[in-house]
Amino acid sequence: MTDLPGGDRAFAHGIGGSADLPISPSLAIAGAVAALVISFTVLALAWRTPRYDAATSGRPAPAWLDSLVTSTGWRVGLRVVGFVVFAYTAMVAVLGEDLLTNPFFGIVFVWWWVGLVPLSLLFGPVWKAISPVRTINLAFAKLSGSDPEVGVFDYPRWLGHWPAAVGLFAFVWLELVYPFMTELGPVRLWCAVYVAAMLIGGALFGNTFYERADPFEVYSTLVGKMSVWGFRDGRLLVRSPLANLDTVVLRPGLVAVVAVLFGSTAFDSFRDSTVWIKFVQSTTVSSYLLNNLALLLFCVGVGLVFAVGCMLTGVGPETSRRSLPDRFAHSVVPIVVGYVFAHYLTYLVEFGQKTLIQASDPFGTGANVLGTGDWTINYWLSYHPTLLANTKVAAVVVGHVLGVIAAHDRAVRLLPQRHQLTGQLPLLFAMVGFTVGGLYLLFAA
Amino acid sequence: MRRHLAALTVLVTTLGLASACSDDEPTDTGGETKTIEIKFSKGTVTPNGDRVEVGVGQPIDLVVEADEAGEIHMHSEPEQEFEYAAGTTTFEIEIDKPGVVEVESHDLDKTIVQLEVS
Repeated sequence: MTDLPGGDRAFAHGIGGSADLPISPSLAIAGAVAALVISFTVLALAWRTPRYDAATSGRPAPAWLDSLVTSTGWRVGLRVVGFVVFAYTAMVAVLGEDLLTNPFFGIVFVWWWVGLVPLSLLFGPVWKAISPVRTINLAFAKLSGSDPEVGVFDYPRWLGHWPAAVGLFAFVWLELVYPFMTELGPVRLWCAVYVAAMLIGGALFGNTFYERADPFEVYSTLVGKMSVWGFRDGRLLVRSPLANLDTVVLRPGLVAVVAVLFGSTAFDSFRDSTVWIKFVQSTTVSSYLLNNLALLLFCVGVGLVFAVGCMLTGVGPETSRRSLPDRFAHSVVPIVVGYVFAHYLTYLVEFGQKTLIQASDPFGTGANVLGTGDWTINYWLSYHPTLLANTKVAAVVVGHVLGVIAAHDRAVRLLPQRHQLTGQLPLLFAMVGFTVGGLYLLFAA
Repeated sequence: MRRHLAALTVLVTTLGLASACSDDEPTDTGGETKTIEIKFSKGTVTPNGDRVEVGVGQPIDLVVEADEAGEIHMHSEPEQEFEYAAGTTTFEIEIDKPGVVEVESHDLDKTIVQLEVS
């Protein structure tokens, strides 16, 4: 028996060690009942006239904060921070060892992919502020004396967020399905293709490309709409998260983005369930093919259930049913955030720390450049499984409640008077379905 | 106002319900050894991805019966690797951290058991 110091080979189940315990059946049921009861309470008792309006909601942030975040120094400072981390990541990607002790894996799969969510939730569109691809595009524009906002072409309106949805799918595919995601070469290649695509996109379409097509910026900005920070006419605003969420700009492909985010997280739970493992291991069909199909099915399934729920909404003849899924898509964001929080909390806390420790020794030479190399991982969260399970279920239920309220406010704006209550039912069922499904996976996997 | 109060009441009671209902007591480890038999034969392995409940710190014997040498991996913290020869080999392990730990054969690319440590 030998202890591997962090592993020296590819592990079939990603970079994580042990996973969370399943939540207890009684807790899952309690969460589901809470979600159901609250949904109908909101429907029956909440306001009947739309409450959120992007043009008036929120109040100005304190003047000092506004002048701080709009100052050149602040913006440049954030770009420098983002670029330093990017440069470090590129360095370990190219010069580091092909071992799981290389901090590259943790930076990509934990700090970047998972860490972006709480950061955006607290501070707003974080990736937009630190994105190294935006920084490089900005530098190119400065050097050539052009405007980074403008590219060679106008970004096609019909394309919307579709490229971001495809990019997000490509990332979750790498993380959850691709068998060699624990090897340096493929992950480095993925990141190189991402950077290259973003730089070409930026040159062709200007900064609009990042706003609409950069998977990480779209994800971060969407989650940032649940923060208290908003902008209007160049002024920093403090808003309630729900009022902020209502300001999500409708673009084609928004539903696909949230469907990939929710579907892939659900698939990540599902693939560790005994049912799926036993099925995959007892058939002769390749497990790689099955995992590919299942990931696709989860994402498409979530998108379809939501789209159907929206299109069955009782609107008047003046509203196009096909436009409804995108108009309601913002209301899935809290459900996604609550579920992502529940699913990744331990992973972020514990592997986030591990990555910080590994980052102190970029090349596996025993160096301690950041001074964090001799820290130990605090497993407090794992040692309190009951508290952890309660926190996870509470996050899912709170996300669900916020989602239902967001959808309700949009519905009373869009739906004619006579459909205002019953017209919301199909969408409400879809949302309860997502939440109960998410809780079931936390219980079963 | 009445509406808001009613909504608030429902919220508080259901959230209270949601958080009060968890009752997962740690399994009584009792010190008795849990034996898990793993059998490799002609490129297959049993069990086939079963869940096995064990206690925190409970002694576990992984009894490996194999027709050829190989190794299994345990995705605990830290990761552990057990090499076995043809014949019967017993590995004595215990896991101190609650969670689900996968025991896998990388040669066969299969999950053998998931240890549910609580």
